[in-house]
Amino acid sequence: MSGRIRTGADLTRDTEVTADVCVVGSGAGGGVLAEQLVARGLRVVMLEEGGYHTRAEFNMRESWAYPALYQEMANRATDDQSVLILQGRSVGGGTTVNWCTSFRTPKRVLDFWASHAGVEGFTEAALTPHWEALERRLHIREWPLEAMNRNNRVLWDGCARLGFSRGLIRRNVNNCADLGMCGLGCPIDAKQSMLVTLIPDAVERGLDVYANASARRILVDGRKARGVVAELLDPARDAPRGITLTVRAKTVAVCGGAINSPALLLRSGLTGRGNVGKKLFLHPVVIMAAQMEEPVEAWAGAPQAAHSHHFSDRGPGRVGYFLEVPPLYPMIAATVLPGFGAPHQKLMERLPYTQVTIAITEDGFLPGDDGGTVRLRDAKERRVHIDYPLRPPQWEAFRDACKVMARIQLAGGAREVYSLHARPVRLRPGDDIDRLLDAAPWEPGLVRVATAHQMGGCCMGKDPDTSVVDSTLRYHELDNLFVVDGSVFPTSLGVNPQESIFGVARLRSAAVAASVS
Amino acid sequence: MAPEAPHSPGRRSLLRRGLIGGALLAAGGAGLLAFRPGRRMPAPPGGLRVFSEHEAAVLDALAHRLVGALPGWPGVEEVGVVPVVDGIAARTEPSVQAELKQLLGLFDNALAGFLLGGRLRPFTRLDPADQDRVLAEWRDSRIALRRTGYNALRTLVLAGYYQSPLTWRPMGYPGPPGDYLQPDAEVWLGGTSPRPEGNGVFHPEALR
Repeated sequence: MSGRIRTGADLTRDTEVTADVCVVGSGAGGGVLAEQLVARGLRVVMLEEGGYHTRAEFNMRESWAYPALYQEMANRATDDQSVLILQGRSVGGGTTVNWCTSFRTPKRVLDFWASHAGVEGFTEAALTPHWEALERRLHIREWPLEAMNRNNRVLWDGCARLGFSRGLIRRNVNNCADLGMCGLGCPIDAKQSMLVTLIPDAVERGLDVYANASARRILVDGRKARGVVAELLDPARDAPRGITLTVRAKTVAVCGGAINSPALLLRSGLTGRGNVGKKLFLHPVVIMAAQMEEPVEAWAGAPQAAHSHHFSDRGPGRVGYFLEVPPLYPMIAATVLPGFGAPHQKLMERLPYTQVTIAITEDGFLPGDDGGTVRLRDAKERRVHIDYPLRPPQWEAFRDACKVMARIQLAGGAREVYSLHARPVRLRPGDDIDRLLDAAPWEPGLVRVATAHQMGGCCMGKDPDTSVVDSTLRYHELDNLFVVDGSVFPTSLGVNPQESIFGVARLRSAAVAASVS
Repeated sequence: MAPEAPHSPGRRSLLRRGLIGGALLAAGGAGLLAFRPGRRMPAPPGGLRVFSEHEAAVLDALAHRLVGALPGWPGVEEVGVVPVVDGIAARTEPSVQAELKQLLGLFDNALAGFLLGGRLRPFTRLDPADQDRVLAEWRDSRIALRRTGYNALRTLVLAGYYQSPLTWRPMGYPGPPGDYLQPDAEVWLGGTSPRPEGNGVFHPEALR
């Protein structure tokens, strides 16, 4: 018997439903978990704060996609605006809008969790069967070199010329038409997101999904979670309708992602001895743009096909980073590319010839690198405080990465490269890259920093004094509350996160199921 | 364990939080300079939902300087940057709207301009070259909060302009590949209706 997918418009009065498990969030964590739970015969209700949007609406326009599919209309940021936060918000969560890049969790990261956080059971041997099953269902496979778009090709060729290691990226796509619009919702359902794979799989087996249902509070009684109270949002206005949906459940699984999960716990009075909302890791990204002689059209073709992890391990005391490229759609390009007035408009006139490379810094591995913090604002506000102090080792990594990216882009044929400083540093072949970039200001708000990967905030670990959930993802102080998403990672990942979240959710679905009683 | 009351640090708005904070906002309500009126902009057809006529005038002035006016590009009015940004702001929650209004007010505030940049005229009454100097001051300021303000307003205005398909041609963007739009695709809601086969499986032959 099939479940149903409802939206915030479908309920007309306060409603109460019951379930074995209430899954809060429908992204990489919630999607996999829900599917695994219904496969075990459990009755599952899923709450998603964002809307239910499908290919019928995916018009590949940023003006539609950002308000509909992203947190805070793709304008989420740290309080000081120094880090722009791109994060999904609709049924499917980040998997509906990500760029399809799929990596297994690196062994060095799993080892670090075991040695530094006392995490148990997250080994390659334990995760491999889960990764393999997911890779089959989600068609995760290497994107062929001959299909690589020109934006990626600059990184690929530049790395080869400079002797940097490089690799091809695996993507979760099926019959992909290579449109490049992944960030705006796949109009042909080629992207094997949770929206079109495991969530409908689970609905066919009884999962009930409520979209536009914003979980406000977990009901707690002694050592037990008893359910979740959600506020229904009007899908048209994305504002509360004044109707609540209460899910009474034997087990609650919070899967809202690295910012919204800690926020829900905090709203529920669950502070995890002060650890909830701490150790937020963002893979902070710095960006270099290049002007090429030939058209790049970085909006077209599989957005991410090449990567380099050559600078992932830069030695003790240094923050590592890895290199990829982003798709360049007009609106996001306009807000991210530097300057104002005519100089900015000239950059926009060169959009088809613009190549962009990003360096994704790996946070959470150095002593004292505690990442950022999520805190509540006024009780009435849905927005939360997000602080992320960028520390000296990160600034060093940013500067180093921008130099490396400039060299790669120039080696890849760029006629000019510029940084994304508020006043961009322009570099031409033959310029002294080190001197010019060293002279630039490396301070918050003076150079564009962004993140598309959010991790941490409900860190997993052995010690309840320093972590939020144990190695089964159970909240330390309750018997039947779990956090199953990227927020449990004790560090960042050093790779794009979706497959790591899939794997963790599938591995620990057994523990969640076992708690139902 | 009884749930504690949610942690409430109290309302700390964008502007009260930082350095400009207390002094300027307190003074902003009192001094003579603070009342030097900036320009007002008549409400566009359809009205404004969030911003006052004065705030709209600040936005309009900002948009003219931030966007640029190279030949071949649509104008700020043609795109309707002010009503678009007003519409974007209308979709944010009230606290965000209040911060934006505060920020626009401070940007035009003559007292703030005097204390921070030695100018006695509101931003909206400066000539374009001076307006650009003010923007550069905010952008390059040693005060983190002004940089925050610059980045927030710049992002909002540029998003408001570049959301328009009128900007596609001058930047050489062909627009989305229209052949692939599927507005009639079935939206599956579960229940008794069978899951459509195309949901999760793409059939190229189904196109066209």
